[in-house]
Amino acid sequence: MTLIAEDIRVVHGRHEALSGVSLHAAAGEVTAIVGPNGSGKSTLLGAMTASLPYRGRVILNGSDIATAKAWELAAQRAVLPQTSRLAFPFSVIEVVRLGLQAGTAGDRPDVPIRALERVGLAHHADRRFQELSGGEAQRVMLARVLAQVWEPVEDGQPRWLLLDEPVSSLDIAHQLQVMDIARSFARTGGGVIAVMHDLNLTALYADRLAVLSKGQCLSFGRTADVLTDKILSRAYGCSLRVSTPPPAGDPYILPHAASP
Amino acid sequence: MAMLSDTHARPRDRLSCARLLHPVLAAVLVVACVASLEVGATDVTLSSVLGKLAQGKLPDGIERVVLFDIRLPRLVLGVLVGAALAVSGAAMQGLFRNPLADPGIVGVGAGAGLGAILAIVLGGVLPASLTALTGNHLVPFAAFLGGWGSTILLYRVATRHGRTSVATMLLAGIALGALAGALSGVLVYIADDRQLRDLTFWGLGSLAGASWAKVVAAGPMIVIAVGVAATLGRGLNGLALGEATAAHIGIDVQRMKALAILAVAAATGAAVAVSGGIGFIGIVVPHLLRLASGPDHRALLVNAALLGATLLVLADLLARVVIAPAELPIGIVTAVLGAPVFLWILLKRRGLVEL
Repeated sequence: MTLIAEDIRVVHGRHEALSGVSLHAAAGEVTAIVGPNGSGKSTLLGAMTASLPYRGRVILNGSDIATAKAWELAAQRAVLPQTSRLAFPFSVIEVVRLGLQAGTAGDRPDVPIRALERVGLAHHADRRFQELSGGEAQRVMLARVLAQVWEPVEDGQPRWLLLDEPVSSLDIAHQLQVMDIARSFARTGGGVIAVMHDLNLTALYADRLAVLSKGQCLSFGRTADVLTDKILSRAYGCSLRVSTPPPAGDPYILPHAASP
Repeated sequence: MAMLSDTHARPRDRLSCARLLHPVLAAVLVVACVASLEVGATDVTLSSVLGKLAQGKLPDGIERVVLFDIRLPRLVLGVLVGAALAVSGAAMQGLFRNPLADPGIVGVGAGAGLGAILAIVLGGVLPASLTALTGNHLVPFAAFLGGWGSTILLYRVATRHGRTSVATMLLAGIALGALAGALSGVLVYIADDRQLRDLTFWGLGSLAGASWAKVVAAGPMIVIAVGVAATLGRGLNGLALGEATAAHIGIDVQRMKALAILAVAAATGAAVAVSGGIGFIGIVVPHLLRLASGPDHRALLVNAALLGATLLVLADLLARVVIAPAELPIGIVTAVLGAPVFLWILLKRRGLVEL
């Protein structure tokens, strides 16, 4: 099963933020969206989650999301926003439970604490969410999202994690932890779409990659095929070189090698 | 996997605790109601009348008038208005995602007041057939329309992309209040003597004019509004994460917002119509409850109704006894008790209102 975006167009005022972007994400894979600031990455994710008005079509597990009810979508996919501000003094576990009441694991009261264990924050369950650091808050939100789609596959249908810069405020250990969670969600049958900023983490974890630039999709395909000097240099507007470390063979990009 | 959870203490379950508060607060409300029936300017008491009834004697005329025509409607009105003010405060705070949003403070009360004054003053001008149709409901309904209009206006002005600017909200509230005040002033000019007395009395914020007619006029609207608001708990919880995230976890945000605005306007409008501007219940009650049992709206809204009713009944009791046999307008009592709490919230959360 797939999550498909077809010819997505989004207009912010008079500025066309996306001009006809298509994306084809398959369950079982991590699909990353990269691109420079303002290239439309988050806007594309916003359209794919029906958070903003768009033209084009988004097909989730075979049906158009435009005609689906909010609760039907919530049972199939969870969305991690870039930043989260909470209005009232909910505790950490209460925030995670908000995800549970949306998903289909509502009769499994152990899911929230296990989701918190997953992100390594079970010991903070009773703390106030508003007192957490930015990185901790981001991981709690990931736990909330995981609680919403706790089983990656349900009734033979894959469920989806849509992550908007999931590691933007995390230290390196927790960046790896979060990306590991995303990858294992995909390996057990779910689908993951992540907007990414860090090209090296993208190279390590993404199976498939879309490179956006100026509201258009420059390239979409297997990560190794897309991460090339030519595509990246064009997308980011500076000369970049993709290198490969000797042992594993995963490509990496050194800013040292960049020239304007 | 079951072992995993044993390695950590079970997280606290504030929702269950908050739900345990329902019967406790209900019991406290009953006690407050009994106390309210016992005490008054005359020495008629509930217990003496009950004692008479137990001996097979009927209460005399004075006792009947005092208990059933004066104190009881006043008590019922107090319960209704207290519940309405507290629930509309809690719902509005959830809607605006801000603990300082209160219909009285941000101008919804003033809008409702304008509607009520319009109905009082212009009510006489309306064709008789229309007044017969609306009867006692005209003033509460007009207040509801005024409250509804100002809530929508306020939401439009203060909220962009699902985010409420507190500064804009409070300033817009001041503007709304000033506008409503000015228009009300114009209406006072053209009011006749009887209407003027109605207005003055009403403007002080008081339950003193309570009657069964007022209970019948405002009761249904308040009961429906509180009932609707009580169903919004899940949605308001989701909204605490922001509009987009609320939609992502399956909440029909537009519908929920529309219902919340209607419920706030109806509860505020009906309460203002029968009791004038009684302040601070809507901000103090939800705040105390969040401190005591957490912010989960599924329990908060019900608890707010119970505690709001209790506090208003007690405030009314206080208003009746401090300078007996005269009485204070209840708005003075709630302001004296509530304003310091409001300032205390501001002091603790100063960051919230930074421009």
